[in-house]
Amino acid sequence: MIEYLDTHYTYVLAFVLLAIGLYMMIANENLVKKVIGVNLFQTAIFLFFVSVAYVEGGDAPIVPAETNPGELLVASPLPHVIVLTAIVVGVALTAVALALIVRIYAEYGTLREDTLREVRADE
Amino acid sequence: MADQYDDTYTESQVILTSVKIIAPFTLTYGLFMTFHGADTPGGSFQGGAIIGVTILMLAFAFGIEPTRQWLSNSTLVALIAGGVSIFLGVGLATMALGGAFLEYELFDEVLGIAPKWGMETIEIGGIALIVAGVVITLFFATASGFTPERGTDSSSSPGSVAGRGGDRDSENGGDDDD
Amino acid sequence: MTMSWFAYTLMVFILLTAVTTALFRDVLSAIVVFGAYSLGMAIFYTFLLAPDVAMTEAAIGAGVTTILLLLTIARTTRPSTDRLFERVHWPGVVAVGAFAIVLLWTVLPEMVAVGAEDAPVWANADVTQYYIQHTYDDTGVQNAVTAVLAAYRGFDTFGEAVVVFAAGVAVLIVLKREVFA
Repeated sequence: MIEYLDTHYTYVLAFVLLAIGLYMMIANENLVKKVIGVNLFQTAIFLFFVSVAYVEGGDAPIVPAETNPGELLVASPLPHVIVLTAIVVGVALTAVALALIVRIYAEYGTLREDTLREVRADE
Repeated sequence: MADQYDDTYTESQVILTSVKIIAPFTLTYGLFMTFHGADTPGGSFQGGAIIGVTILMLAFAFGIEPTRQWLSNSTLVALIAGGVSIFLGVGLATMALGGAFLEYELFDEVLGIAPKWGMETIEIGGIALIVAGVVITLFFATASGFTPERGTDSSSSPGSVAGRGGDRDSENGGDDDD
Repeated sequence: MTMSWFAYTLMVFILLTAVTTALFRDVLSAIVVFGAYSLGMAIFYTFLLAPDVAMTEAAIGAGVTTILLLLTIARTTRPSTDRLFERVHWPGVVAVGAFAIVLLWTVLPEMVAVGAEDAPVWANADVTQYYIQHTYDDTGVQNAVTAVLAAYRGFDTFGEAVVVFAAGVAVLIVLKREVFA
């Protein structure tokens, strides 16, 4: 386990962040904090993708026109593209979730999951 | 409870001054990133997001409702719908020329335009508009919250954000009692 | 030799902000700390040679998401509290702890070291190497990320754009805003 910290450090960080995001989704009663947990989980996945694309001693994925591409050492562009679009889709997802939360508050007057369950059970 | 929401806008000299200084630079940076995304790190997703954030900064400094009226709703809708149509249009244009969706090489073969310009159209005209427009729309939609009826909104005078917020909160308060 | 001490400090910062985000009882404090976390993450992406991702994360993760969260608690409620941290939910800790341990013990040993040149994603001759070698000849742009985004995978990007468009429409419908009027 410990020996991986030197060579697999970003993966270790990504997995720990996944766990923290999951904990927030399970344990926090407040709906807004659950949404923050979803976002945290997402960034952990993004970190995983970006570290898969990383190459030691390389450069950002810019391919200069004048150099011979055969000797280039640059990061893989494909995971970057996937993460790029995922970030924008992620903020759209967050906005839809928050809109639903605003709507839930207007309807039930609470953002706590346990209170919400009681109110709905009473109806 | 209703008093809690009324302080969504406070005119602050610190925020106003710093936004006045920073906003031109962020807008320029966002545009630079959008237009120069082909050869340097950056591109339409990043540039569009930064252009959108510039408007969000202005809204924080000058109040959300005045900014929303200055940047009318139809402009935003035109931005987003226009972005999607331009993207789709370029894709269908290549198909009309007898190729596949977004086959830029056909622009070169048939019309003599370098494939790069097809990509730039997608980037600048398509994605940047969509991202900037959606970021701003989501912000305004979330900022105005849930409105059961729009009747009270049109009667409020421009710029009175606090008064508007108060109206809506009493409506929401009414909903909570059911 | 892996990364500089600055990168390790940044990782500790990211971890600390993530844990405090999960544990702060006050929602406003959690949102602000989460903004700091996103910014730290954006800086970390530049270390991992992803400036494009870093710029998007800084603008959207640290900027737009934080603003939307703040607006939501301004529009709804911010529970008042006298305690700084949440009560720790032990069944949850056990569950996610087991999840993390399973990941670390089963997946981690299978992964190639970070930044290795024989990593399957980087060394793949048909995907990554093809893009790096042919980007300029095929598309005439130097930024490989832009080339993949708009040319090689333009159809995917169109799908993403429509998803974002749909999300904007969905928010307007849920909140009953007459923006399209």
